[in-house]
Amino acid sequence: MSDMSRPGVIHDLGYRHYDGLREGTPAIARTLFVTGLRHVYGLGRSGKSKVMPFLLLAMSVLPALIVVGVVVLTGLDSLPVSYADYTNQTQLLVSLFAAAQAPVLFSRDLRHRSIVLYLARPLSAPVFAVMRWLSLTVALWLFMAVPTLMLFIGAMLSGLDKSDQVTQLLKAVVLQTLLALLIAGITGLISSVSLRRGFAVVGSVMALIVLTGVVTAVQAIAAEQDADSASTTAGLFSPWSLYSGLANAWDAGIDTFVPVDGAWAVAYALVALLLAAACLLALVARFRKVGSR
Amino acid sequence: MAVVTGERTGQAPVITTAGLTKHYGSVHALTDLTVDVGEGVTGLVGANGAGKSTLIKILLGLLEPTGGHARVLGHDIEHESQEIRRLVGYMPEHDCLPPDVSASDFVVHMARMSGLGASAARERSADVLRHVGLDEERYRPMGGYSTGMKQRAKLAQALAHDPRLVFLDEPTNGLDPAARNDMLRLVERIGSDFGIAVLVTSHLLGELEQVSDHVIVLDGGHLLRSSATGDFLQRTGSLLVEVVGTETERDRLGEALAQRGLVCRPRGAMVAIDPPPSELAQEGAAHDLIRDVAAELGLGLMRLQPDRGHLEDVFLDGAPRV
Repeated sequence: MSDMSRPGVIHDLGYRHYDGLREGTPAIARTLFVTGLRHVYGLGRSGKSKVMPFLLLAMSVLPALIVVGVVVLTGLDSLPVSYADYTNQTQLLVSLFAAAQAPVLFSRDLRHRSIVLYLARPLSAPVFAVMRWLSLTVALWLFMAVPTLMLFIGAMLSGLDKSDQVTQLLKAVVLQTLLALLIAGITGLISSVSLRRGFAVVGSVMALIVLTGVVTAVQAIAAEQDADSASTTAGLFSPWSLYSGLANAWDAGIDTFVPVDGAWAVAYALVALLLAAACLLALVARFRKVGSR
Repeated sequence: MAVVTGERTGQAPVITTAGLTKHYGSVHALTDLTVDVGEGVTGLVGANGAGKSTLIKILLGLLEPTGGHARVLGHDIEHESQEIRRLVGYMPEHDCLPPDVSASDFVVHMARMSGLGASAARERSADVLRHVGLDEERYRPMGGYSTGMKQRAKLAQALAHDPRLVFLDEPTNGLDPAARNDMLRLVERIGSDFGIAVLVTSHLLGELEQVSDHVIVLDGGHLLRSSATGDFLQRTGSLLVEVVGTETERDRLGEALAQRGLVCRPRGAMVAIDPPPSELAQEGAAHDLIRDVAAELGLGLMRLQPDRGHLEDVFLDGAPRV
């Protein structure tokens, strides 16, 4: 073209086809997972949406730092709180984090109907739902694992027995993973049904915080009345009491009103797994239904 | 129902359906649809509820048909819908854009969801946004967009992965006349310059008349007609005559022509003449007669042209099938 030499001219190249690499479904699913995980923490979103997740994370890490400081300075011979119990003590923060961030992954696409654009692409509705669930699960797990790791580092710095600490840490990590699966399922399901963010948050708070409060009260009263099995049974009805019950049964450093042992431990584990599976199946069904509309 | 493919021989059809049916309980959204769609722009016309969106969703594999078969780009919709969704783009009718994300970020993300790598997705989305005409505003959150800009962003995400076929569901919906024209030109370019097959729906026949090579007309879930746009607009054999002056002159000409054995009726400022009877059927005879009559009456002939059909006539002629 003769006018190529003229500076400052934008040449319209016309439409260019793409004949480069196209990734398969697993790679697309992985991209969706990573994007979802980033979005839970507000990364790749507006500055405002980073405030809530990181504020909550800072609040849940701060006590761990204080504990570490105390242990290192005073030279205690054990951590004043076990790894599993630390998560239990900061359960309000974990619950708030899940309630506030689940709508990011499960309400937005449905409310704005952009889900249709996803489902018109290679990923199917069930894969989409599972990937969203995994994103939230991992995000929640990280939220619990960061302060746990701080505590562990502190314990190592103050020279506590390594094998003891590692055992306790691994137990806590397994329990936290189970808890993350549960909470992600529950809050994800609530958010995918109540599409208004406010309702979703309130619903999740009801399910995680209020319900746990009620269960704890019932457990305490039953234990007070020496109705041990009633107290343990009540513990089946909230993810947090399942968590602490299992931790108690597994000797991971959480005290419950009535020790959970024997068949009860199996029942707790079964209920936790079934609940997580049921939530996931419900999520898949929900996205399948939306996809066909 | 007959298969009507127009003049599409030589190349494999982009979409073929055979007896495609979708019933929701007693509601028959689509009944026994057998049709072929080729390259270029194909218009899918029908009133609201005629089954246009249902057809697109079935072809995308988002809805299961009650009966029948279909292939898109050579892939069966029942068993290979994932492969189909890799190769097609879809612009839905309704709003589907998150308000707090910029068009740029959104199109990149959607390109990645179609399997493009990070850098390829960025490059493609910049390209595509330029083609649809979103400039500086691509970096603003889409919540603040006008309807026209939203439609462009929706179109951009459908093209982001360079599909071989795009389904555009009512792309001109809610646009003002200028934006509507821009969108139609864009649709035309996608079919011709971009070389991407287009299936575009509209409830406005006139729009599709302008841009599509082929038109499929649906009515109440039934195929009313499928043929090249040219066939819809072919000469009807009638003539249109216009003379200088007002309605008085028009009527004088009409009456004089009627006396000579032509069937006339007024249409606007013109006289519409039905196909001439056999004695005047040979080439130019009717034209000569009209010229002579106008001269005798001392009227100035302004226009004498063959009448053409309109897409609307399909609905008038082909009385709705049940």
